[in-house]
Amino acid sequence: MLFSSELIKGTLKTIVLKLLADNKRMYGYEITQKVKELTRDRILITEGALYPTLHALEADGLVVTELEYIGKRVRKHYKLTPTGKSKTKEKVSELIEFMQTMHVLLDINLQTS
Amino acid sequence: MYTLSDQQVEFILKDIQQKGIHTEDLQQNLLDHICCILETEIKVDDDFETVYTLVLQRFYKNELLEIEQETQDLLTFKNFYFMKKVMILSGLSTAGTFMLGSVCKVMHWPGASFFFVLAIGLLSFLFLPLLFLLKQKELKSLQEKLVLLSGVLVGMLYTVAVLASVMHWTMAKSGTYWLLMIGFSFFVFIPLYFFNGIRKPESKINTILVTCLMVIFMSLQFLMVSLKPDIQKQITAIEAKQ
Repeated sequence: MLFSSELIKGTLKTIVLKLLADNKRMYGYEITQKVKELTRDRILITEGALYPTLHALEADGLVVTELEYIGKRVRKHYKLTPTGKSKTKEKVSELIEFMQTMHVLLDINLQTS
Repeated sequence: MYTLSDQQVEFILKDIQQKGIHTEDLQQNLLDHICCILETEIKVDDDFETVYTLVLQRFYKNELLEIEQETQDLLTFKNFYFMKKVMILSGLSTAGTFMLGSVCKVMHWPGASFFFVLAIGLLSFLFLPLLFLLKQKELKSLQEKLVLLSGVLVGMLYTVAVLASVMHWTMAKSGTYWLLMIGFSFFVFIPLYFFNGIRKPESKINTILVTCLMVIFMSLQFLMVSLKPDIQKQITAIEAKQ
C-alpha cells in the first residue's frame, strides 16, 4: 500500500532531517531513493514536495549545502547544522508522541464504532 | 549506465528555466535530479527527448512552475507568523497609545502630542501596511488587491488628517488632508470597491449597502470640513464684536 501525499506532507521535514542525521550528507535524488528503499516503495517522496522542503530547511538554518561539480551540472549535498541536529531530535520525539497519541485515539474510535 | 552529454544537460536546464523555475538553487537541484533519473532509466536505443518528457511529468500535477511557487510559499511562510505577531502588537499598541493621548489631551496634561504622533505613526506606517501585506496573500484577483490597497491608503490618509487637525498643522486649517482623503475615497476607493463587489451575486446587496454608508459618511465628513472655515469666521466675527 502506498501512503497518501497528505499523510507524508506533515512529516516530510522530520523524515528529511532524520535521514540527514543518519547519513551525514545527502543530495535530493539520494533522499528519494533512500526513502523508497527503506519503506519498500510504500512512501514515495515527490520532487515537488522535497525541494521546497529542503530550501525551507536551508533558509531556517537547519541544513547547509556542499557543492559537487559534475560536468555541466552542480550537485547539492545537504548536511545538518548543529541547530539542525538538535531540531531533528525535537522533531523525532514530537512525531513519536504524536504517533502514540494517534494510536490511543484511533483505538478509542475503533472501540466506540 | 547511460551518460548524458553536455548538450543534453544544457537542453534540460534551458527547458526547466522556460517552464518557470527561476530560483538558481532550485534549477541546480532539479537539473541534477532529472539527470540522475535519466541516467538510471534511459537505455541506449531510447529517444532522449521522449524519455525526458515522461520523466519530467512525474515532477508536477499541472505544471513545473508549482515547485517554484511551493518553494517561494514555504520561504515566505517563515516570515508570515512573525509579521502577524508584529501586526497584532502594533494594533494593540496603537489602541493603547491613542487612549493615553486622548486622556492627556482631555486632562490638559503634557505628552498628548507625543502619544498622538506615535499612535498615528504606528497605525499608518506599521499596522496598516502589514495588514495589506498579510491580507493580500489571501486574495486571488488583482482587482481585489487594488481594493484592499486603496482601502488601506484611505485609512492612512484618514489617520494623518485626524492628526493634522488635532495638532493644528498649517495645511490642516485649509482642510487639505481631509479633502485629499475624501477625494481619494470618492474617486478611487469607493468606485473600485463598488464595481468589484457588484459583479459577484453573493456580495451584491452587501456591496450596495456598504457603498451607500461610505458615501454618506464621506459626504458628512466633507460637510464638516467645508463648514469648518465658516464656523471659524463666525467665531472670529463674534469675538470682534465683543
